[in-house]
Amino acid sequence: MKKDKMPPLGHLHMEHVLQAVGVLEAVILRSFGPEGGQVLFTRDTGQVLLSRSGTRILTALHLEHPFARMVVECVWKHSSATGDGSKTFILLLASLLRLIHAAASKGSNVSHSYSSTKAAEAATARHLADKLLAFGLKELDELIATGVVPYGGCISWEDFTVEAQTSSLTNNLCVQKLLRSFFHTRCGYTHCDFSSHLTCELLSHWNFKNQLPSFSLQLVSDYFPALHTPVSGFPVRSSRLIEGQVIHRDFATPPLKTDHQPVKAVVLTGSLQPTLLSTGDVLELGYRGRMKEERSILHFSSWMESSLQGVIAKLQTLGVCVLLSAVKQSAAVLALATQAEMCLVECVSEDELSLFSQLSGTTPIWDCSMIESEHVATLAFCRPIQLGAHRYVHVAFQDSEDRITIKPCSLIICAPGEGQIEQYACALQDAIRMLLRTWEPMLAAATTTSKSTLQSHKGASLHTDSLTEQTPYRSIAIQPIQKPGCVLSAGGLFELLLHYALLQHGHSCSVSPDLNIDASVSQLLANALLSVPQKIYSHKNTISPIQVEGPLGDGKLSLHCCREGDKLSKVSELDLGLESVSCKYQLLLAVLQCVASLLKVDAVLPTHTDQEQIKCHENKGIKMLL
Amino acid sequence: MSRLSKKSPSVCTDMPLDNTDICSKLHLLKQILTSCFGPTGRLKQVHNNIGGHVVTTSASSVLLSSVSSSQPFINLIKTSILNHVSRFSDCGLFAAILCLSLIEQIKKSALKESVAIRVNNYLLALCTSYLQREDCGCRVKLDFCSTQNLITLARSVISSKPACVLTEPETFHISKLAVQAFLLTVPCSSPGIVSFGRIVTVPVEGHSVLSSEVLPGLLVEMPDGLSEEDKLLNPLSVVLFSASLAGDISELGDGVIEAHPDVDTDSQILGQLLELGRQVINDEVKLFMCQKVIHPVLQQYLRSHGVIVVERLGIALMEPLTQLTGAQPVATLHTTIPPKTYGKVRDLCIKHFGSKTMLHLFPLGESAICTMILCHRNQTMLNELKVVCQTAEHVLRLTLREPFALVGGGCTEINLAAYVRHKSKSEVPETASVLMCSQTEYLLGVELFCCALESAARALEHDGGSSLIDLTHAHRWMLPADAIKETMEESLGFCGCGLVQSSPSKKWIYLSTKYSDFCPSSVFRDTRVQPRVLDSFTAKLSALQVAVETANLALDVKYIIQDMN
Repeated sequence: MKKDKMPPLGHLHMEHVLQAVGVLEAVILRSFGPEGGQVLFTRDTGQVLLSRSGTRILTALHLEHPFARMVVECVWKHSSATGDGSKTFILLLASLLRLIHAAASKGSNVSHSYSSTKAAEAATARHLADKLLAFGLKELDELIATGVVPYGGCISWEDFTVEAQTSSLTNNLCVQKLLRSFFHTRCGYTHCDFSSHLTCELLSHWNFKNQLPSFSLQLVSDYFPALHTPVSGFPVRSSRLIEGQVIHRDFATPPLKTDHQPVKAVVLTGSLQPTLLSTGDVLELGYRGRMKEERSILHFSSWMESSLQGVIAKLQTLGVCVLLSAVKQSAAVLALATQAEMCLVECVSEDELSLFSQLSGTTPIWDCSMIESEHVATLAFCRPIQLGAHRYVHVAFQDSEDRITIKPCSLIICAPGEGQIEQYACALQDAIRMLLRTWEPMLAAATTTSKSTLQSHKGASLHTDSLTEQTPYRSIAIQPIQKPGCVLSAGGLFELLLHYALLQHGHSCSVSPDLNIDASVSQLLANALLSVPQKIYSHKNTISPIQVEGPLGDGKLSLHCCREGDKLSKVSELDLGLESVSCKYQLLLAVLQCVASLLKVDAVLPTHTDQEQIKCHENKGIKMLL
Repeated sequence: MSRLSKKSPSVCTDMPLDNTDICSKLHLLKQILTSCFGPTGRLKQVHNNIGGHVVTTSASSVLLSSVSSSQPFINLIKTSILNHVSRFSDCGLFAAILCLSLIEQIKKSALKESVAIRVNNYLLALCTSYLQREDCGCRVKLDFCSTQNLITLARSVISSKPACVLTEPETFHISKLAVQAFLLTVPCSSPGIVSFGRIVTVPVEGHSVLSSEVLPGLLVEMPDGLSEEDKLLNPLSVVLFSASLAGDISELGDGVIEAHPDVDTDSQILGQLLELGRQVINDEVKLFMCQKVIHPVLQQYLRSHGVIVVERLGIALMEPLTQLTGAQPVATLHTTIPPKTYGKVRDLCIKHFGSKTMLHLFPLGESAICTMILCHRNQTMLNELKVVCQTAEHVLRLTLREPFALVGGGCTEINLAAYVRHKSKSEVPETASVLMCSQTEYLLGVELFCCALESAARALEHDGGSSLIDLTHAHRWMLPADAIKETMEESLGFCGCGLVQSSPSKKWIYLSTKYSDFCPSSVFRDTRVQPRVLDSFTAKLSALQVAVETANLALDVKYIIQDMN
């Protein structure tokens, strides 16, 4: 290996960070807010994709700048946990960095030489960022609980169950509104009503009684690839739910001719045809020149056929007429199954088989000669279904006693192009993730045995845990935030409310200096938050700066957004949907963590060896020098 | 590791619709597609730069898939339309022209994109609900008691593709055949799950179009050693093998087989095959067919016993054959063939088509399998004719789900535009506030949408004539370029779809001029007057939706990121 020279140390200043984040912000702004649009991008394969998802757009850029990559990484981590907020992430990050930069350059205004000024600036900035993070971890949840949550509402899981039975609009409206604004930010205005309705319907079908809401959401989220079928060439409005499960394969033998109920099915993981010779075995024919009948090749192949016939006969006695196989079966199996009037589906994906087993309550079988009745699933029907260009297998399960509340159903996502379908599928999956996060906020994640505890989240939950032990007063204050399903009007209300809560907090801090939190920190965060509502309304060119009246005596907060000569502000206010408070809280924490880690870097070391370059790529090109 | 290369950063385009390069490309695409539209559309020759064969066509499926652009914005629209065509086979050009004119109209106007998207969405819902209505002025209910409407529907599809180069009687002949074949594939009386049959197309080059025909049953390659004099007892017993009968060793697993030099495995297997042949002959099978290869010795043996042997059928013919004969494919060589796997054919005969000689298998009873023999003078025209016949078959099959058709000849588009103009004029303030725009913006959006619809109808005209609209039914009328103003009434005759006849009481105006909105009255249905041009209802409705959705999507794109790796 070539020994590489020590490259010149490229010192980083706040300007570099700001510049990198500013570029990202400019891209993101195109699809941010009510007037934002789609971003079209091509993959290296030439595939055309569409997105309004911040994460998707940022990763598609293939950025080289190490800072930008670090930011993208942070955004990706955050959105894979909450499914939402990647665009706001960048906006908040940019505005926070700008304010920190301004504060730092003001603070170190003493006349020094150029390099030392910069160093002092960086040190101040780093210090500020750390304080911000500490403040966020310690105080933010309480501030949100007292300053934001009272203005919001709460959605409960019962909304779904009620909707499924009475189909009244009023109860379900809240969840629908939450989803509606989510789809508005992710797929655009056109189909946000339709998509949110479809998602609500899907979730209401998958509602398990006597289970936590997060259980259903987690299940749908885990099995989403098996639960949806993309169909291109149809208008989006043809998307629908269908009963049961779609297995994304076609029948290998003619489908069932009759529609008799029930249909018995078996899931196979191995080949039906017995393997005579496994790898490494040697079959010797004509041993020592003696030509005996039982040593001829025909003997073996006829043994194989007869044992295969035995297996098929056994399946027939159990009444099985559908075989779902994970592997490809031989021509003999196909022919014998056809003759026995069984239908066979080959090469079914593992995901789909596992969902099928879960829904039918059976276990897959490897060797069919060991088959027992517990391996046999009972289906309501099993028939071919033509979806777009493909013919698939459509199965529905019989109602059993323990499954009386859920009606398994699959989603068919239609759109004119593949890119759009992928966009909708991603948005749906993220919507479910967002709902999961809404229902399972901070504390719940730490106490229940949920698989997906995220790192950014851990700090918060540990912290609140210790708080609850400390004082009874505090635990009451946190109570509203623990309550799952807390939502607030969308369109920057969260940021505005928190802005005021932070300002007030700042005042109280300066009055009582015993708390060692700097008032300037909460002031800075408060100002940074304002950038979000500003950006939301900035697309309307004729708008005058937002005027906000602080929380008045009666505790009512009114949001005015004035437009010159046009009385449409009322209309746009009506259009505002809902957003999840707990997702917003996590977003803020993630941004603060990102700022702190960004400002800790002081130099980038470009290395030159080929080998090193590759490593650099794998490590996202960041060399941390602490 | 050394193969890993650095990823190059992506190329970005901001506000693609303000980009002149993209706009000019969109305009060019629109011009190309518009000039292909309809029965008098101009043909396009597609050939590649390395001298591949030239395709002459005006079909959107062929044209769009051969047009490749480096611009993802164009590809977005292209794939949407192509996906529509692959589902519905018809109305691809209509969807593309409507989509591109919508984008162009909105771009030219000062209307904001977000407002335009909301208005388009609202108007699309208005259109689809109108088309579903009972009193819709451009919808015709199909009557399955008579084939007339079905033939008209098929004929509209076939005549809209001039690259087939068909004369009037030829068009009619092919339309009749398409309907006949379609009706043959609909099973008459089968209890339980109904499954459609299949049309197997056999292209024959160098013959007159009028010698094309539809035959019940299937045609297979002529087997060797069969003469026309052979007379066979009817019906014939059939066996169908899906496994290879070439004498190869069956799959035993992944292990190694070591054969002693003394052992003649090949002859053992052949002996087994001949044993199989003996059983088949004992069971009085007269037609022996195999998907794969049959060992020549077995073939010879079977033939010497008067069995007709057909090998190498291929996977495509297997399903129609099992449906036709009722035989189940056999893949076991060691066990006796169960009698229920045998199928039957009523009769065999030998057919000659030009240079081709084929064996024709007749079904024993009712069967939904038929063969369409398509003849044309040369390869290019024959290819286009094949595509057109498949489209016609698909369009006819769609009518079973929704037994309606839309009047063709541009009448549907004009009628829709008139309806939308009329309907949207009521409750303007309310609608505008729901759509979050001003009233002027809303009315402008409506006008742009209607203009786009009308431009799709006008695209049918290629010879310099002009399009007119009558102010009672809102159908489209064509005025040839050389018509004299005074004799306008006579030169008009019938409207585009042939449902309305000109009369002195009617008033016409040019499509490009503004008219005060009116509610188009539905045509009084005189059973003697049948429409001359019909379009598929299902395909056109979907095309309308796909066109508007795609235009909305294109208008919503604010940024393009192109991966350059």
